[in-house]
Amino acid sequence: MDFSSKFCRPQRRSFERELVFEQIWKVTQQSALTTALAGFFVGAVMTVQFTMQLKQFGALAYLGGLSTSATIREIGPLLIAFMLSGKVGAFTSAELGTMRVTEQIDAIRCLGANPIQEIILPRFFGIVVSSFFLLAIGLFMSIFGGLFLGVFFAGINPDEYLRYVPVVVKWPSLLIGLFKCFVFAFLLATICTYKGYTTTGGAVGVGRSVVNTAVATMVSIVVFDWVSSVFAETAAIIYLAW
Amino acid sequence: MIEFHNLKKSFSGREVLKGITFTIGEGEIIFVLGTSGTGKSVLLKNLVGLLQPDSGEIYIDGERVDGKSEEEYLPVRRKCGMVFQHPALFDSMTVFENVAFGLRKHFNLPEDEVVKRVHESLALVRLENVDQKMPQELSYGMQKRVSLARTVAIRPKILLFDEPTTGLDPITTNAVNKLIYDLSRELNVTSVVVSHDMHCALDIADRIIVLDQGLVVAQGTPSEMKNSAVPLVVDFLAEVDSAY
Repeated sequence: MDFSSKFCRPQRRSFERELVFEQIWKVTQQSALTTALAGFFVGAVMTVQFTMQLKQFGALAYLGGLSTSATIREIGPLLIAFMLSGKVGAFTSAELGTMRVTEQIDAIRCLGANPIQEIILPRFFGIVVSSFFLLAIGLFMSIFGGLFLGVFFAGINPDEYLRYVPVVVKWPSLLIGLFKCFVFAFLLATICTYKGYTTTGGAVGVGRSVVNTAVATMVSIVVFDWVSSVFAETAAIIYLAW
Repeated sequence: MIEFHNLKKSFSGREVLKGITFTIGEGEIIFVLGTSGTGKSVLLKNLVGLLQPDSGEIYIDGERVDGKSEEEYLPVRRKCGMVFQHPALFDSMTVFENVAFGLRKHFNLPEDEVVKRVHESLALVRLENVDQKMPQELSYGMQKRVSLARTVAIRPKILLFDEPTTGLDPITTNAVNKLIYDLSRELNVTSVVVSHDMHCALDIADRIIVLDQGLVVAQGTPSEMKNSAVPLVVDFLAEVDSAY
């Protein structure tokens, strides 16, 4: 039987959806618990800080609103994205880097597949989607962490804590938080897949890629956070003036 | 069948291949020997399009294959199966899925044909009852054989081996070398083996090509090599004599 002429696949398939779902599941499963835990304590820390400040002014009633707003808009996405860059980013970069230096990527090409379609795009979309969900889970848990500490540390009852949340946390705050989650996830996926895929130089090269991924991800996340904060504040000022 | 014409390749200004010219006939077992860093692996990677030459020409069955796009290289890669220096098995897949990978990507085969072909390929490399194991559960020598099975599964006309015995103990080295010989004869394919193992080359090669500093410095049959006066060949032969 002449394989080449009878059964040869004329065109490569576009990247396969099941590989993306596999990655989404893998990343989410690996990081859900850690993210939830980190989110809980981010909210808890914010509550502790605000409690000390607000007590001085007798404004403890605003604790829930202020703590939730700051967590959702600023600290929550930032800290959880840092944690994901250390966990998901470093793992993906090391995994792809090892595939590169052990010739697995060359093998994929020789076996008739496109490594971009086969390993990069599924990981990229998998990380973007799952990181977005993980950040959203983290934010939810941070609200819960803030509430928990508010009740047990500051002695506020849950109703009082939650009363000012809708007053202080408006839709724009939530949208800004979710938008940041999406962009941080995009930055993380882009940097870790690129750094991993372009690894050279054996085990040392893999180590270098992981370090570069961590540094580049964190710096770009902080820079984007600053840019988006300035943009959001400017937009708020224009909106209020208008 | 395979022709290299004045092939040149540089990396960051360092010329690795400085004008390689030689031909390989159909069905031959060719050993390309040379010390580390002389461009042996680069030569193979140029052949299958993993690297592109700076200048020169490569022909397979009379068709020029250098300078093609990734998509245009697919038929070339169906024709040339490459076994890498590392086993290069996919860690997240079982042995079966690894061997089936190329079959599924290169061809539209029914699943029962894929299963049959995978088992045949594993039997060819003398491996049985390992198809549901993960690569990390196998010894390094077995991983190399799975890698070989994955390559022969697509039934290439040309088999390329990049230092197939590096990192193996002497017994496994002999077994892999015998396997290369047997497979080449059983499947009636052309084999190009990049190596620095002159002893093995003298045993199983039809012809030996010796590279030094990016150039072909000697080529001929094993018996011609034994009488060569080229210093590098003499050094290789002296190593063989001292080892055995």
